[in-house]
Amino acid sequence: MVETAAASQPFHEGFVEADSFCIRFMEAGQGPPLLHLHGAGGPRLTRAHDLLSRHRRVIAFEMPGFGRSPENTRTRTMAELAATMATAATRLGIDTFDLMGTSFGGKVALWVAVQQPERVRALVLEAPAAIRPAGTEPPSGSPEETARRLYAHPERLGHLPVIDPAIQAKTRTLVGRLRGPDRDPELERRLPSLTMPTLVLFGTLDHVIPPEMGRHYKDLIPNCHLVFVYDAGHGISTDRPEAFAEVTADFLERHEAFVISRADTLIHP
Amino acid sequence: MKASYFETGRYLVSPDLPREWPVPSAAYDPAAGAEAFRGMVERAKFVEALGFDWVSVSEHHYSPRILTPSPVVSAAWLVARTKRIKIALLGPIVPSSNPVRIAEELAMLDTMVPGRIVAGLLRGTPNEHLSYDLNPREARARTDEGMELILRAWTEPQPFGWQGRYFQYRTVSIWPRPQHRPHPPTYALGTSAEAADFAARSRIGLGVSYGTFDLVAKSTRYYRQQCVRYGWEPGRDDILYRANMILAETDDAAEAALGRRDAQAGFPLRAALRDALVQADARNIGGEKRPAHVSGALPISFCGGPDRVIEQIRRCREVVGAGVLDLSLQDPGSGSVDGMLRALELFGDKVLPRIREI
Repeated sequence: MVETAAASQPFHEGFVEADSFCIRFMEAGQGPPLLHLHGAGGPRLTRAHDLLSRHRRVIAFEMPGFGRSPENTRTRTMAELAATMATAATRLGIDTFDLMGTSFGGKVALWVAVQQPERVRALVLEAPAAIRPAGTEPPSGSPEETARRLYAHPERLGHLPVIDPAIQAKTRTLVGRLRGPDRDPELERRLPSLTMPTLVLFGTLDHVIPPEMGRHYKDLIPNCHLVFVYDAGHGISTDRPEAFAEVTADFLERHEAFVISRADTLIHP
Repeated sequence: MKASYFETGRYLVSPDLPREWPVPSAAYDPAAGAEAFRGMVERAKFVEALGFDWVSVSEHHYSPRILTPSPVVSAAWLVARTKRIKIALLGPIVPSSNPVRIAEELAMLDTMVPGRIVAGLLRGTPNEHLSYDLNPREARARTDEGMELILRAWTEPQPFGWQGRYFQYRTVSIWPRPQHRPHPPTYALGTSAEAADFAARSRIGLGVSYGTFDLVAKSTRYYRQQCVRYGWEPGRDDILYRANMILAETDDAAEAALGRRDAQAGFPLRAALRDALVQADARNIGGEKRPAHVSGALPISFCGGPDRVIEQIRRCREVVGAGVLDLSLQDPGSGSVDGMLRALELFGDKVLPRIREI
């Protein structure tokens, strides 16, 4: 169980160079590597990172052009960004890894998986944005409006993230260039070739991408498991970090066998 | 206006039966039990012939007052022996059940008799939380989650896992699915703001019960407001009102029957237990705090001869907005069944034809 494991370690900052980008990452924990690719809003550590780092070596990347990194005018496509991130893993000396992608990062993760399937042990997609209803727009507006769209329980954030207008502007340009069509025929054509265990999670209250999109991943990816996280919005790992981390850690540990319950229901011996 | 008859099993209670919930199983009379279940079928056929739209069944435990711990078994028993009347399960107690099982069993019924099943999902009366050791403080949250899981199990085409607060499943993929797409007509039952919120968000009906018109109207008004917020307007059938009715040939006869009515609950909880339960079980009507009803007979909402009752139904329609009335014409566990059958017949002859346009 995630909750009873040893106390977590603090995340520390590191940098790695890939395709001439200096890529920042946050790292904590020991064990098999779990690489995380963030959503369109940029990197943000959640309690779920903390919980997952009790079992594995979690490396949360800041993709080039997001967060505090310089503006990225070079990357032209999702496929290119995916290749850069796979190179970053190589530069860190990591050959095979578990890969987790959130929303926009879920689409990048799928591109990594189709480009270098032999390196991805298992794939976890948190509210992936690779398949969207026509006309879906990323959250925008004031911090309050953005939070209401992203989270079922923005009150659990403690304080709203401060939005730096300069970061927002450069990120919006980059995401607009890279996010691609709502249905990407090239990516979807390649998804049936994936064989690694894949977990797709949607919050039942996702107001960015309807949870009903989850079924398309089941249709397209042969070894795909779909899990609905009750009472969570688009930011599942923020709204319900314990629930997110429990099923994710169990899946990463046991793959397909995670459907076999190990819950102890004995009340008294 | 549609009319539903609330069938409770009608176990004939002997005068020496202990009058406290839970009633000892040792006091159960198998012959009376067998007769009660035979009678369920007779009455369902009777109200079907009278033109009632639905017969409803409920879930209650550990007393002869309402002898139907399993609404699904009750429904299967009745639906196979009637021809057209709808069977409303009002309903499975969600927080102490396996929601996936509820989804499966209702889908079975809906497949056996397409178009004849109505589903009501509820939290349950406070004493029912004692039946299966449910923490009353968790009952609301378990109900909300369970209802959402039931709707998801009915509608999701792909196998899925459910990472809930109170329910967790790694694999759900029900067979059969409901015949009625996306699912049978469904109500969230309850007067709380939470029940109304869920119903509005899920675009399902709301079933309220037993309070005065003005009181339950607080709940149905709140429901309508929430429906607007979610971009839809509920139809006539979307508000269901369960209530007691005393109907007689004349207003005087009905008033006399009301005067003879026992105001005590048939099988009350011990006072200290009742008080502790009220403490643990926070309730509200449309968001307004109100203690749970755990003692005393349930109120009578309609009383009179046919003309007066029709006027009361008209007022109910105006104030509550109900399009379906789910009626008890006699308190469960009391009086003679013959008297109730006469009242049902009177309702079928003199009231039902005149409330259709209300």
